[in-house]
Amino acid sequence: MNNTIDISHYAAIADSIRAEAARILEQGVVTAVVAYTTGRRAGSVQPVIITAAAEAERLTFTAASVNNLAVYLTKAKKDIPRSGRIGIVVKGCDLKALVGLMGESQLQRDQLYLIGIPCAGVLASTVRPAEALIAATLAPKCRECDAHLPEGCDYVPAVSLPSAPTLEPSYAAEIARLEALTPAERWAYWKEQFAKCIKCYACRQVCPFCFCEQCLCDRNKPQMVDTTPRPAGNTAWHIVRAMHLAGRCAGCAECERVCPMDIPLNLLNRKMAKELKELFDYEAGFAVHEKGPLNSFMEKDDQSFIK
Amino acid sequence: MHPEKNNSSAFEPKIIAFVCTWCTYAGADLAGTSRMQYPSNVRVLKFPCTGRIDPVFILKAFQQGADGVLVSGCHPGDCHYIAGNFHARRRFAAFRKLLEFVGVDLQRLQFSWVSAAEGGKWVDVVTDLTETVRALGPMTEFKELALEEQWSGALTTPELKEAYLQI
Repeated sequence: MNNTIDISHYAAIADSIRAEAARILEQGVVTAVVAYTTGRRAGSVQPVIITAAAEAERLTFTAASVNNLAVYLTKAKKDIPRSGRIGIVVKGCDLKALVGLMGESQLQRDQLYLIGIPCAGVLASTVRPAEALIAATLAPKCRECDAHLPEGCDYVPAVSLPSAPTLEPSYAAEIARLEALTPAERWAYWKEQFAKCIKCYACRQVCPFCFCEQCLCDRNKPQMVDTTPRPAGNTAWHIVRAMHLAGRCAGCAECERVCPMDIPLNLLNRKMAKELKELFDYEAGFAVHEKGPLNSFMEKDDQSFIK
Repeated sequence: MHPEKNNSSAFEPKIIAFVCTWCTYAGADLAGTSRMQYPSNVRVLKFPCTGRIDPVFILKAFQQGADGVLVSGCHPGDCHYIAGNFHARRRFAAFRKLLEFVGVDLQRLQFSWVSAAEGGKWVDVVTDLTETVRALGPMTEFKELALEEQWSGALTTPELKEAYLQI
């Protein structure tokens, strides 16, 4: 079985991004481009915001381009100039997040210039950014990706997407394993996972959907969630986080990637996505929905659990 | 009003009921004015609407020592604010699944529609939940978490012992 993921087209994509970013900045289509650039360590890649055509040659795209750049466009992170149209490089999963933000009126489509990436997958971790992309180093979200080719972008590099090997979805398997356990066993599992949490809130800061100006979990009048990194507050935080992302999470799995304690955060998000698909037939996708599943309703919704 | 206080330490469940003011609160009031008997284990908290009841309230109730939680409001279509209970229905359908996945016994969390005229239904719902929770025993999961947040003070590792000696 061939475990190598073919990413030979990434070099061509990087060239196309450089040319397109230079063109749109030159012609004044956009005022800034949010993209990836080469980092200081060999093979590493980091987000960058460029405002001049001359800077476009710094841009790149490799298997280490893991970041979801949509986070640089949300309200709470005012890192980029808001004065005009912004160009942004998006993978399929990132585009789903942008689409979700458009549905929540956080962004306007005409204020964005989307450069879509025909993505074959990225690394799970940036600890060793120069590593070869094989099944073992591929991000778990990419194993079950249904959005290799983003739709509705303004520009997509003209490269053909190599065929990807079929891989076993890891989240679905893990969810099934946990669902088969007894409630007490599940509680023990999550208790151990949440006990690791150090409340650094990296999961919140990196999430494109956590754009509240003041997070419920930072408020102390009333204090609904204990802020200290101890088991009770940790459990409450992770439950509240999963609930607030239910029906919104686009599955970019950035929360899980940035977690310094390796808590399987995306597992909760994927579980909620699965349940909302079953309950309300809703899935994050490329189409902008004015209302999400939890702020709309139908009279015939299931109420078998209500007496 | 008050249950007979016997000296045995038999388990009495604490039930927190989050109710909407327009239907279930009035229904509970009707049960009271009709002199119907129901377990006094239930503590009623009144909200404007079931749509106002945030899932975090349920978490907080469990953390603060509730053994069971009841959420009750107007029947679909009867909401004073037109659609609050429809939104609540979706939210709680999702929240139940989340709690189940984390490992909470869903028998401790009951949802119901009780109208202002259904004093009898209120009595039934409260009695059922109280008896279910009584049979299940105390909810220990969240309470144990709260206890674990206090460090025992035990010097369990060589590093801690060494650090202690250097003070």
